[in-house]
Amino acid sequence: MERSWYWRVALVVAVAILSIYQLVPSWFYFKLPPDQRNTEAYDTSVPGWAPDAKHHLNLGLDLQGGILLSMGVDVDRAVKTKVARRADEIGEFLKGKNVAFTGTQVVGGGAQVEVTAANPGEVKDAVLGSTGYSEEMYSPGGAPEGAVRFAFKDAVLRDFREKAVKQAEKVIRNRVDKWGVTEPDIKTKANNQIQVQLPGFKDPEKAKELLGRTAQLEFKIADDENPVLDQVRTQLPQCQGDRQGLSLPLPESGCWTVEPVELPNGGSRAATMVAANTRTELEKVIEEKLNPLLDPQKNVVGIGEGQVGQGPIKTTYYRTYLLRAKTELTGDYIADAAVAIDQSDTLQRGRPVVSFKMSPEGARLMDKLTSENMRRRMATVLDDKVETAPYIQGRISSNGQITLGSGRNQQDMFDEANGIALVLKAGALPAPVTITEERTVGATLGPELVRKGTLAALVGLALVVVFMVVYYRGTGLVADVALALNGLLVLAVMSMIGTTLTLPGIAGFVLTLGMAVDANVLINERIREEMRAGRNVRQSVQLGYDRVFWTIVDSHVTTLVAGVVLFQYGSGPIRGFAVTLIIGLVASMFTSIVVTRVIMEYFTRHDTARLSV
Amino acid sequence: MQFKTFDIIPHDTKFDFVGKRHIAVALSLVVNLAIILWSLPFVHGLNMGVDFAGGTEMEVQFGKAVDPADIRKTVEDLGFKGASVQTYGAEAEHTFLIRVERISLLTEADVARVADAVKTKLPVAGFAFNPEFGDKIDFQFSGAVDAAAVRAAVEAAGVKVRDVREEQGLTAGTRSYAVITQGIQENVQAGLKDHLGDAQPNVRRVEYVGPAAGRELQAQGLKAILYAIGLIVVYIGLRFDFRFSPGVVIAMLHDAIMTMGYFTITGREFNLTSIAVILTVVGYSVNDTVVIYDRIRENQAKLRGRSLSDIVNLSINEVLGRTFLTSFATALSLIGLLVYGVGTIFDFSMAMLFGIVSGTYSTWFIAAPMTIWLEERAEKKRAKAKGAAGSAAAQPQARTAK
Repeated sequence: MERSWYWRVALVVAVAILSIYQLVPSWFYFKLPPDQRNTEAYDTSVPGWAPDAKHHLNLGLDLQGGILLSMGVDVDRAVKTKVARRADEIGEFLKGKNVAFTGTQVVGGGAQVEVTAANPGEVKDAVLGSTGYSEEMYSPGGAPEGAVRFAFKDAVLRDFREKAVKQAEKVIRNRVDKWGVTEPDIKTKANNQIQVQLPGFKDPEKAKELLGRTAQLEFKIADDENPVLDQVRTQLPQCQGDRQGLSLPLPESGCWTVEPVELPNGGSRAATMVAANTRTELEKVIEEKLNPLLDPQKNVVGIGEGQVGQGPIKTTYYRTYLLRAKTELTGDYIADAAVAIDQSDTLQRGRPVVSFKMSPEGARLMDKLTSENMRRRMATVLDDKVETAPYIQGRISSNGQITLGSGRNQQDMFDEANGIALVLKAGALPAPVTITEERTVGATLGPELVRKGTLAALVGLALVVVFMVVYYRGTGLVADVALALNGLLVLAVMSMIGTTLTLPGIAGFVLTLGMAVDANVLINERIREEMRAGRNVRQSVQLGYDRVFWTIVDSHVTTLVAGVVLFQYGSGPIRGFAVTLIIGLVASMFTSIVVTRVIMEYFTRHDTARLSV
Repeated sequence: MQFKTFDIIPHDTKFDFVGKRHIAVALSLVVNLAIILWSLPFVHGLNMGVDFAGGTEMEVQFGKAVDPADIRKTVEDLGFKGASVQTYGAEAEHTFLIRVERISLLTEADVARVADAVKTKLPVAGFAFNPEFGDKIDFQFSGAVDAAAVRAAVEAAGVKVRDVREEQGLTAGTRSYAVITQGIQENVQAGLKDHLGDAQPNVRRVEYVGPAAGRELQAQGLKAILYAIGLIVVYIGLRFDFRFSPGVVIAMLHDAIMTMGYFTITGREFNLTSIAVILTVVGYSVNDTVVIYDRIRENQAKLRGRSLSDIVNLSINEVLGRTFLTSFATALSLIGLLVYGVGTIFDFSMAMLFGIVSGTYSTWFIAAPMTIWLEERAEKKRAKAKGAAGSAAAQPQARTAK
């Protein structure tokens, strides 16, 4: 035998052994009864020498079931946000039109925009005179003297609520896709609900956190020059200890302490901040004590976290930031986000952070914002929590980063950064969602269909195997070996990358097995042709394989091209189908071109060899 | 040399595929057009499953263990189509999630009638009905009304009401109510009691669910498929000849339509699994066609001087055994699924069988002859161009002769 043959044999054997090794976790997974597969029992049943237990073949919703989450979309909150934004827009519009007015505000429980002006009639005419506004809004009346009110028409609101749910569905789908869960089932229900079914039973907590997160990212400027919060010092006790080391627990009523802040003019000031043990306690203090002091048009109080303690033993408390009310920039302008390691020369160096990239328009706004607010603090507020508030040291435009609160181990921080990057990339929900229901659900196909389907597939496979041997005799047996190896290889790769096997996925698998059969038929028919042309067995085999090589490559690559495109652009079941197809086609090329050839060459190594084909 | 095996198709078969192409193309054209026409929503339409059209979801709890197969059968016997039964929560709860194809008991006409009746009694500012959200009518009132009055007004119009919910009316001065009418929940409850009464069925809720593959996902999938076709055209063009590309695409479309035909003709539910079947069939079709093209390419190089139609015919005949065998082997693998498969699985395999037969046929009679047709056209064009050039060249001569 030639030298290359031994190399090829070694390759084939290595691939076979590796495939079997990769399938060990899947073997233990399916050996367990279905109700124990997704429990601790599985993790402990996988022996230590095997690959990581999480690399097993997973079954999709239709074959196994999974978890169901129902989420309610708070559409009224979305409407309120829209009304608030419209108030700002109307202000800008009136400024642009040179219509005199003294202020805009949201009234009527967040449903209406009120514009105060010396001449409200003029404002009303200007706003309702523009086509854009008059299509969506009307003036409901009921405004006090010197003001005019605007509200959205009912049809606009209904449309907007429906769109908010649709948008939420899209974002959730996007997040599930980006999380790497294949073949979820996501649909909207009546009452502004979204139902998500995820195959398998892993990580329901993680799923809830990931899907439930609004991911509303806002950038606000800290109003450190404003002494308004200093008044609270008479109403609350002073915290014990200093900012570096508040002595916990804090009084239940909350307490104040001073925070030295730098001011844009180069000076500094001892600003007042309020701290409490829990977020709820702090929210209560803000509602009762701080908000009455503020002009809601100018300032809001943001909540952030602080840590006390050294090394791994740290305790978290909650603290306030006095921010300007205006949201300067939102996460809508983020084009990309990823986990990075902090490179700055601060204590945070080396810790995981979320780095993000702005869209061109976002970069322009960010550049304007940072250059106008040099040396002020800019708060990054994610889902109503101030993540960081660093001083703006220079102009930032397209790239930025979010530093996370410290105090946890590296892995936790990495996971959190990863989660945040993922939701930022997938987009923010238009309104907060609440998880209203969490259940385990069974296979959508139903157990009896799954059982019968499995039996049926096995019968079909057996028929093909028998047919190959009957028709091609010895070479048919070789083809069957290749077919078996092909199946093994596909399943091994699928368990390695954690693909979810569903009925459409099985269609893809059947197709590639069919193409593997086809490749062998092509080879055998070609060998028959060469033998008919009077060549001896060894020559026929060599020539057969050589000539059929490009046929196999072309037919596989054409389909592969389609598979890659479907994977790239498709989602849901189309993507699942594409994954199995791609893996199967590559495996089929390998088994037909390399594996069967090695075997056939061995049996026909002499010119006088006999072959039944 | 040992050669005692047999050929299913004699290896020297010489069937005139190319000669039959006109009949075949005409036949395919008629069948394909008929399927497309029949699939149009206003002619007959595909039976769109819950995946695409949305549906009705019911949560039913039983007092003791019930075989999901019995539930499925009962629900389908009640006239609901495409029922899927899924256990819901822990097994001991005996609770199931049943999804059926959408049935909206209210029609636009009913709603208009109800709205007119309500208008005579209450200050209706507007109403809305969207069959996608089920048997629910949204009313806005411009004055003070309460839920009981709304219920009474709707029931007076002859429609039974299950629930009236006040919705947050964001416009000051108006009030919104959602009126949910009776129908499906009561039907299912009664039907289940009749057939599975000893298991104490309790329909806990009935809700409308949107499609799992909504418009956007459908558009995205379609885009992916178009891109895939585009790249296949380019790959075939580069590896073979651009004259070969249209044949592959047309054969592909032909087979996709034929497979869809199975669902149109039988009226079986068209769902996401059906899409997977069509994609699989298209995969086979392309594979099949490329193998024949490969032989045509090889024979073109070997047999220079022979006409293309001879070469195509010869190539098809040479690979006849293989085309037949592959299709046969794949069909064989479906036999088990056809015999033991039920519901979705049966449709899956039957449609696949349909597609494979069509794929084999289209390779022989559509894809390969397509290249001949394109070649002939190209030749005619060349001849025409030559003729035009010839007459153009002749004209000045004519002028000088004058």
